[in-house]
Amino acid sequence: MNPATAGLRVLSLPFDHETTDVLIGSYLSQAAAHDDYQAALACGAYLHGAILVGRDLSGKVSVEQSDHMVREVAQGLGTLGFLSGLVVWPLIPLTTGVGAAMGGVLGEALHLLTETKVKGQAATMIPLGCAALILAYPRSSANTVEPVVTRAIIRATGEASGHHVQALRGALAGAQQQMAATGP
Amino acid sequence: MTEPDRTTLPLTGPEFSGTANHTLRGSEPDWNLIRHPEPPQGAPNVLLVLIDDAGFGNPSTFGGPIQTPNYTRLAEAGLRYNRFHVTALCSPTRAALLTARNNHAVGFGSVGEFSSGFPGYTAMLPLECAPLPRILRDNGYSTAAFGKWHLTPDGQQGPAGPLGRWPNGWGFDYFYGFLGGDSGQWDPCLAENQKIIGTPAEYYDEEHPYYLPDAMADKTIEWLHGVRGQDAEKPFFVYFSTGCSHAPHHVASEWADKYKGQFDQGWDRLREEVFDRQKQLGVVPADAELTPRDDALPAWDDVPPRLQDLYARQMEVYAGFSENADHNVGRVIDAVEELGELENTLVIWIWGDNGASLEGTITGSFNEMTMQNGIPLTDEMQLQLAERYGGNESWGGPIMDPHYSAAWAWAGNTPFKWGKQVGSHLGGTRNPMVIHWPEHIPEPGGLRSQFTHVTDVGATILDIAGIPAPSRVDGVEQEPLHGVTFADSLIDASAPERHTQQYFETIGNRAMYKDGWWLAMKTPRIPWVVTPEALKPYAPDVWDPDADPAELYYLPDDFTQAHDMAADHPEKVQELKDLFWEEAEKYKVLPLLATLSAFFGITPPLEDTAMMEFRGDVQNVAPGMIPRIYNRSYAISADLDVPDGGVEGVIVAEADHLGGFSLFVDDGRLTHTYSMMGVFVYRQQADTPLPSGEVTVRMEFAADAAKPATGGQVTLFVNDAPVGGGRMDHTVPMRFSAYSGMDIGRDNGGVVDLSYADRRPFAFTGTIRKVVFDVKPHRTVEDEQAVHTVAHHAHAAHGISG
Repeated sequence: MNPATAGLRVLSLPFDHETTDVLIGSYLSQAAAHDDYQAALACGAYLHGAILVGRDLSGKVSVEQSDHMVREVAQGLGTLGFLSGLVVWPLIPLTTGVGAAMGGVLGEALHLLTETKVKGQAATMIPLGCAALILAYPRSSANTVEPVVTRAIIRATGEASGHHVQALRGALAGAQQQMAATGP
Repeated sequence: MTEPDRTTLPLTGPEFSGTANHTLRGSEPDWNLIRHPEPPQGAPNVLLVLIDDAGFGNPSTFGGPIQTPNYTRLAEAGLRYNRFHVTALCSPTRAALLTARNNHAVGFGSVGEFSSGFPGYTAMLPLECAPLPRILRDNGYSTAAFGKWHLTPDGQQGPAGPLGRWPNGWGFDYFYGFLGGDSGQWDPCLAENQKIIGTPAEYYDEEHPYYLPDAMADKTIEWLHGVRGQDAEKPFFVYFSTGCSHAPHHVASEWADKYKGQFDQGWDRLREEVFDRQKQLGVVPADAELTPRDDALPAWDDVPPRLQDLYARQMEVYAGFSENADHNVGRVIDAVEELGELENTLVIWIWGDNGASLEGTITGSFNEMTMQNGIPLTDEMQLQLAERYGGNESWGGPIMDPHYSAAWAWAGNTPFKWGKQVGSHLGGTRNPMVIHWPEHIPEPGGLRSQFTHVTDVGATILDIAGIPAPSRVDGVEQEPLHGVTFADSLIDASAPERHTQQYFETIGNRAMYKDGWWLAMKTPRIPWVVTPEALKPYAPDVWDPDADPAELYYLPDDFTQAHDMAADHPEKVQELKDLFWEEAEKYKVLPLLATLSAFFGITPPLEDTAMMEFRGDVQNVAPGMIPRIYNRSYAISADLDVPDGGVEGVIVAEADHLGGFSLFVDDGRLTHTYSMMGVFVYRQQADTPLPSGEVTVRMEFAADAAKPATGGQVTLFVNDAPVGGGRMDHTVPMRFSAYSGMDIGRDNGGVVDLSYADRRPFAFTGTIRKVVFDVKPHRTVEDEQAVHTVAHHAHAAHGISG
């Protein structure tokens, strides 16, 4: 499929006024993410789309996406930066209990000799072995979809009016912000 | 030959009684001059076996679910001791075992990794306390130790030593094993005598992979054959100290699979089953009561079904691992028997240096080091991480360093409360002991119930060998032994109980035993919880140890500590409290909680070293001796010669994929991989290939702040030009590995980045002239002090899980 054409298909989808939800789940294993991905597909509710992104321990990235996504908005989601946007935020709000105990108040942030040399380096990544799931669905599906996502270590949802490109972008951004708010 | 004075060591040689004239004419040699020291007539061989991190209710010999046919074989031809006591922690018990003195008195209030400025916590054996192997060796024994050591301070485990506190320095002629507190069984980083030899070459043999328990037995048998090949008479002292059953629980699946389904009933019912068998065997009195589960541990029936499979597998692996230990000890015993010497070999086999370990936390862990690093992982996280590394089928294999749920450990300590670290209760301090010496035990299969303590073992061995505890060694006056012999109990079930009084203390949990009464004072902290909230009550200006809850038990009537009598006998409580403080003063137990002193602002002076250089052939740097890169900014640079055809391979790597870092070249590009305990694995790679010729590469980590587990930015440089990088949101706060070492020019043992696992050890194909760590890029003393403090918290955290 020509991505450009697919993108046009997305853009040509009719606008509507139903709320679209976007759920992001993060996982420490691809198998767990796959469990939720399959559960979402099998739950019987309508999905705009589902994408599963995983990175194995050797660094290989794999992507699965649902037929819904391909049919309607898959390429469009790709052009929206779903994948690149996802990995901006840490996947897990990990804290170290002992670390907190030992750290106490350590004062102001360090000014590091190496700091100037790392400016401009903004590479981000999914840690090896982790995975993420993105589900986009109309609000009317939420009560069916969300309960089957049981294994996400962290999950966050965003919402927007309609399911056109800008709406999905906004919903995704909302979910990402929510996830970031639970981060370290 | 006259009997030498054995109270002074080394034994002095005889005066020359021959004649030495100007020439050989009329000269008479004195052949006694060239004899080696000989033991007293009839001194037997001694085989001392110590299993690690195991409980009273583990081996089938004592009613447990783990099949231990060799242990039972010896018990049925020898004796079971059911009131034998240890300290509640690894190194302390070992120190007491090998010195016959209380552990604090010989500097081991905590583990070898924790070396502090208080006399009872130096981890440095005093010269006034010559240990058992030294005494036996100087009295004519051949001595050897195999397996776990854990009695050398962390900072002395390299070629610069000092080496006096390595096993050879303690008096062992030969040592093969590991110096630290635990080891992978598939990929250990071993020491032989006074050298770290690293991971054995057989590790790379996929058809016949190396397995430490097998190798320990092989090496022991080989050593015995060598000794007997040279001297048919000289008695031996073998200390066979298994890494089993300490985490990581590593064993081939065929051992674990023997137990498939045998723990599906859960820990609560398992305890009931074990308790019934213990009563049938008689190792627990018929009127004893099973103690209840503490609220800190969940009921099995409350465990979600999705977790029960994982938890059951954890115990299956532990059981298989432990049975394998029994098997390999059995091989050594068979070898002694094949030599025709089992009848004259005193075998003392202790099943556990402390109670079974609670350090796996409630969930258990795919990686034993997550608890020590204070990483809180929920049950779902643990489940997913186990899945990531292969799931239940891989639990026990080399891909994980697993530990089991604390609730399994508690069940392993049936019928008692608590477990390892809890020196106040029998779950941490009472372990099975079997003694086998056929010609000298008139009642084979008997049970002995005298109160005995780990300090008594050395005293008993010396008593049986006819060797006095020396009063001077190397000119240094010696501290008397604190243990007492129980040798007469071998022949007499009603022999008097000689060990009538004993203190216990482990990380503030303490007990005082006297004439059957046991005062238990456990700090309310849950052993596996080291959060800020958990530690706050123990700050120096806050904690009043005398206000800790006091429990009182009368053990002759209450084998399991089921009935707290403190409320009925306040005078006895006070008497034992007072006695504890006296004993604590006498044996250098004070200050209490010295192990945790770093958490309360007491740290050693700042280290000055900022730069550490390693030449290209340095390998197997012990994990406690790697550059201190935790919780801070640092840089690693390397000067390389890159041939025209390009290079690949590891420049420097520490530990493995479950925690470690590797700077390497792959596909022509400089690459850095960092594993945050296998939970998060980060990789950064250069955008451009490495040039040929003389090349300087560098990775810099710019920490967000000098705080535990700090995130930060990695930048890769080639010839000072940035070529790539990335962010690491979390770093390791304390220690990458308990056992895996750092290598220059290769990645020995388990590798950090699994993408090159098929090329392990992925040796560098160019030349590494040197690797330099810069660990002090901080500007202020305050920042440096903050990082330093964190580093010593790491020691403390490691110390409480040794």
